[in-house]
Amino acid sequence: MKTYLLRRVLAIIPVMLVVATVAFVLIHLAPGDPASVIAGPDASQEDVAKIRRQLGLDEALPMQLVRWYGRLLTGDLGNSIFLRRPVLEAVMDRVEPTLLLTLWGTVIAVLIGVPTGVIAARYHNSIVDQSCMGLALVGLSVPNFLLGLLMILCFGVWLGWLPVAGYVAPDAGLVKHLRSILMPSLALGLVQSAFIARITRSSMLDVLREQFILAGRAKGLAEPSVIYKHAFKNAVIPVLTVIGINVALLIGGAVVIETVFNIPGVGRLIVSAVLRRDYPVVQGVVLLIAVAYTLVNLAVDMAYLVIDPRIRYR
Amino acid sequence: MSTLILTLATLLPLTIALVPASAQETPRTGGVLKAATIGEPPSLDAHFTTATITYQIMWHVYENLYTLDKNYDPTPMLAEGHTVSDEGRRYTIALRKGVKFHSGKEMTAADVVASLQRWGRMHTTGKAIWKQVEALEAKDASTVVFHLKSSSGSLLYALASNYAAIYPKEVVDGAGDGQVKQFIGTGPYRFVEHKPDRHIKLVRFKEYAARPEAPNGFGGKRTAYLDELQFIPTPDIAVRVAGVETGEFHFGQTIKQDQYERLKKIPQLEPRIVKFGFWPTAVFNHKQGLMTQKKLRQAFLAALDMEPIMAGSFGHKDFYRLDGALFLPEQPWYSKVSLELYNQRDREKAKRLLKEAGYAGQPVRWLTTQEYDYMYKSALIAKPQLEEVGFKIDIQVVDWATLVQRRNKPELFDVFSTGHPVVFDPALSVAVQCDWPGWWCQEDKDRLLQEMARETDPKKRKVLVDRVQAIFYEDAGKVKFGDAFALDIARKELRGSFRPLPYLHFWNAWLAK
Repeated sequence: MKTYLLRRVLAIIPVMLVVATVAFVLIHLAPGDPASVIAGPDASQEDVAKIRRQLGLDEALPMQLVRWYGRLLTGDLGNSIFLRRPVLEAVMDRVEPTLLLTLWGTVIAVLIGVPTGVIAARYHNSIVDQSCMGLALVGLSVPNFLLGLLMILCFGVWLGWLPVAGYVAPDAGLVKHLRSILMPSLALGLVQSAFIARITRSSMLDVLREQFILAGRAKGLAEPSVIYKHAFKNAVIPVLTVIGINVALLIGGAVVIETVFNIPGVGRLIVSAVLRRDYPVVQGVVLLIAVAYTLVNLAVDMAYLVIDPRIRYR
Repeated sequence: MSTLILTLATLLPLTIALVPASAQETPRTGGVLKAATIGEPPSLDAHFTTATITYQIMWHVYENLYTLDKNYDPTPMLAEGHTVSDEGRRYTIALRKGVKFHSGKEMTAADVVASLQRWGRMHTTGKAIWKQVEALEAKDASTVVFHLKSSSGSLLYALASNYAAIYPKEVVDGAGDGQVKQFIGTGPYRFVEHKPDRHIKLVRFKEYAARPEAPNGFGGKRTAYLDELQFIPTPDIAVRVAGVETGEFHFGQTIKQDQYERLKKIPQLEPRIVKFGFWPTAVFNHKQGLMTQKKLRQAFLAALDMEPIMAGSFGHKDFYRLDGALFLPEQPWYSKVSLELYNQRDREKAKRLLKEAGYAGQPVRWLTTQEYDYMYKSALIAKPQLEEVGFKIDIQVVDWATLVQRRNKPELFDVFSTGHPVVFDPALSVAVQCDWPGWWCQEDKDRLLQEMARETDPKKRKVLVDRVQAIFYEDAGKVKFGDAFALDIARKELRGSFRPLPYLHFWNAWLAK
């Protein structure tokens, strides 16, 4: 088990190398560079070229790549060209809103999606099942930014119940924080819950067809016990996988939701960096997201061990 | 007793009605202004960038030697005044005394010289004017002297440009060739913090040395009524509008013009048409490719119908004006010369010119971007008009960073979209410069611009503007689609002189409640 864990952690290194190289190459291949963005629209070619030289962007690409590898070896992700501070610092500044949005969005998604999927499977082919899956289909079809804008209009502008935008950290007041994060979390969570509901229902239906479920019912077990205690526990593994993938994706920042609700998270950081060609930030953040993704996958695999004692890793 | 009460009840409203409106509008000190901006500035160093959002925020912190009065003429700000000698080649500028930087240090000539030399080295406008400067020296602690190569009608306008900021000498020295590390000026607000994607915070500078005269345009007395200014980057337009509607923001910048009719009806809001805007333009590539041929450019210009282009790009008739002049009617440089060549809508002429040019249907590569909605829409609407007369138009939609890079490479485009802001000095306008992308270098025009830069008599300058405009149209230097105006919104309780003026600013502004 320990060997397995160590192997998985060490496997992050080649992943990082590949991701670092791909991120570097892709952002440098994109036309445009940060010098022209910094200089502004009325700057002359000469001004832009001067800034390019100051930023070291006139060096040959292979040299810049080697320099990037060299910094990575010492854990240095470089300095943001626009923010003029270390990339790691810039990311850490934004990690809290993104993680909290991820957390609350996932909680909402799980609290709505899992029971909906279980109930739909329990009352399979009935009006309850069809209603649940109908709502899930609507949830999957509505873009989360549209849902977000509609919520801003309804709860922010018309009813005035919640702030339309902005982020308040928990240390500035828990109630204020929850008010600021509720709409964006709902916009994210409701759409994800639709997906989780469908996967949960599908997984439950597969398990409910198993022989041991028939045996349990034949032995006289109460239906709620069959569904919620025995079937659900066996059906939860694929659901956990999907939840894990969603969490990993959200750690990269729910870009559109962060933009709509003005949340200063990792997603907004990376989008601004791409638009402004802030190379160190793009490279650094992509690398960190790859590491986070790998670690989340590892956590999900470890969770399987808890849920299903038959699973063992060597 | 009842008679007394009745008398008072009758007299009181009459008394209030007799009080002048201005007394009811007494500025109130205090409060935190929250202004929703379009996004993050690329830099907070005014010398380092030409981005509009940089000066919109930072000119509350920095000041210049000169600024613009209500007639858009230069007026002293940090300067006390100036004398001109040596046939216009020497400007001796006296500085105001007792003006402090936010660091507590008093401004001296050494700071001014260091700042303006840096601006002259780094900034586009500074570099343009520095071609005329032989030397800048500190004659004493409160006098600077410009030694020019020839007389200049542009120097004071350039010094009034929003980017010619005065920094402490130590800040300039500490920056080297890079950006400044501290944001210290003499303005009514001092910089506190910049949290990217959250806010830029400025607070009132208690030791601000205001000018004594009444406000006059951007000049005169600047009073910091508001305790604090927060500029909050809010990229989504709908969220900027919603935030001002609910009162979370007091001000929202650059709203879509087609929202105007709806916003006018909301009682808490005051939409503001920013009349000194910019002109959307299609810039020809004069260095390489199809558009080096004058007849093709003239055909392009002849074919266009500007009304649908401007209406489609700006959505509401109050936000554009069909006018082909290089300057606005509000400016002394406004000219009607050659405007018969603007908005010709002459398809037959365009077809004839294409034939004379021997145009064989090669695609005209037009670079545009959706990041500025009007640029994209103007290209889209112009395309069928041009294709109707025989052009083949290849619209290439890219992001702004790509467009700005590609427009510096003449082999990559024939036309690109941009917008030219209103300028106050004709000789400094990038719209007519030779060394700006597009590279419209025309011998007579360039000679006239040099003459204009040296000419100090406004009447003679106006004659030169007329001649430059005539060449602009005869040579088809660029395509001006029209004058465009922006839409900002403010809460009604936000009062102040920023309302009638272009160039967003919040000194002399206050929150009524």
